[in-house]
Amino acid sequence: MATAITQDEIDSVFPTVAEMVADALGCELADVKPDASLIEDLGAESIDFLDMVFRLERSYKVKIPRGKIVENARGTLSEAEFEQNGVITEAGMAQLKSYLSEVPAGRFKTPTKVKEIPRLFTPVTFCKLVISAQRETKAAG
Amino acid sequence: MSAILPESGIAGKIAIVTGGGRGIGRAIVELLASQGADVTFFYQSNAAAANQVVAAGVGAGQKIAALRVDIRDAAACAEAVERVVERCGRIDILVNNAGTIRDNPLLAFDDADVDAVIDTNVKGVFNVTRAVAPHMVSKRAGRIVNLSSVSAAKGGRGQTNYAASKGAIEAFTRALAVELAPRRITVNAVAPGVIETDMSKDVRELAGDEITSRILLKRYGKPEEIAYAVWFLVSAYANYVTGQVFSIDGGFKME
Repeated sequence: MATAITQDEIDSVFPTVAEMVADALGCELADVKPDASLIEDLGAESIDFLDMVFRLERSYKVKIPRGKIVENARGTLSEAEFEQNGVITEAGMAQLKSYLSEVPAGRFKTPTKVKEIPRLFTPVTFCKLVISAQRETKAAG
Repeated sequence: MSAILPESGIAGKIAIVTGGGRGIGRAIVELLASQGADVTFFYQSNAAAANQVVAAGVGAGQKIAALRVDIRDAAACAEAVERVVERCGRIDILVNNAGTIRDNPLLAFDDADVDAVIDTNVKGVFNVTRAVAPHMVSKRAGRIVNLSSVSAAKGGRGQTNYAASKGAIEAFTRALAVELAPRRITVNAVAPGVIETDMSKDVRELAGDEITSRILLKRYGKPEEIAYAVWFLVSAYANYVTGQVFSIDGGFKME
């Protein structure tokens, strides 16, 4: 099990990630708060997520496979433990809340479908994505 | 009259043209480079022809480079596009021109006749566009022009594979235009009729009179006449054009 991502690590990548979010979404940098919902608050669409991942990959020289956020959030749970017929299980919700710890509790609703997970994404979610990708790159040597 | 644009906006643009060593692609490369674009073209096998295009352009003080790329290979496309971005910093224009033809009646087809045409004309366009589009999306600007053919709408005998591939490209053009419009990227197609190139030589020799009788202007097109249409679509004059297929075929009639 990988060590948890620390606040220091997040703080160190946040300024760059926030700038990329602002560029990708064409919004003010000041509006890119760590816990802003990218979709609800900043108007992101699915193509924007692809654009953000593309920018992060180039800037940090890492490879981020599609679906990586959900895979990271799922942690050690198997797919069947995490979701049933596209709906996140109770254990899955607990895992998701713990991974997306920056998301205010009120934004999680039950039941949540897997395809609704992106509605929860925040700039910090993408910081975590970069950090885990950096760790994997380092581990691969 | 203050709203009239004085410049096409092509000078200084970074362009990729696939299949640029010969025929229509070469005319597109030469026209864009002559207008001040920095053009890299991909070619599959004819290095001598490619070198000639580069030498002529560079000799005239233009920015032309060639890369040997098999567009059927997605990884090779990604690598080639990366090289262009490393050198030029961005990509403003993509012209998906490379295409192949394997005419045969359906009943006489080998599997290879179908695969060769679909792999180059359809998958090749996907491969190159997928490599280029993220760069355009992140710049929120770009022009994509795909080469279709009169065959897409008016396919001739022996052209089911080619006609299907070009029909796919027209559908691809419209769907991609929808996807990329919010990122200010336009996607259009040009559909040439019968143009005087090596690729159409067999068709012209086999069915020459029959074909010209169906062309209102009673002659074949020239490669540069297709390049002019591409030039328009990538210029600032076409800022408000997307998802369209522009037929340049001398007025080609259905039988």
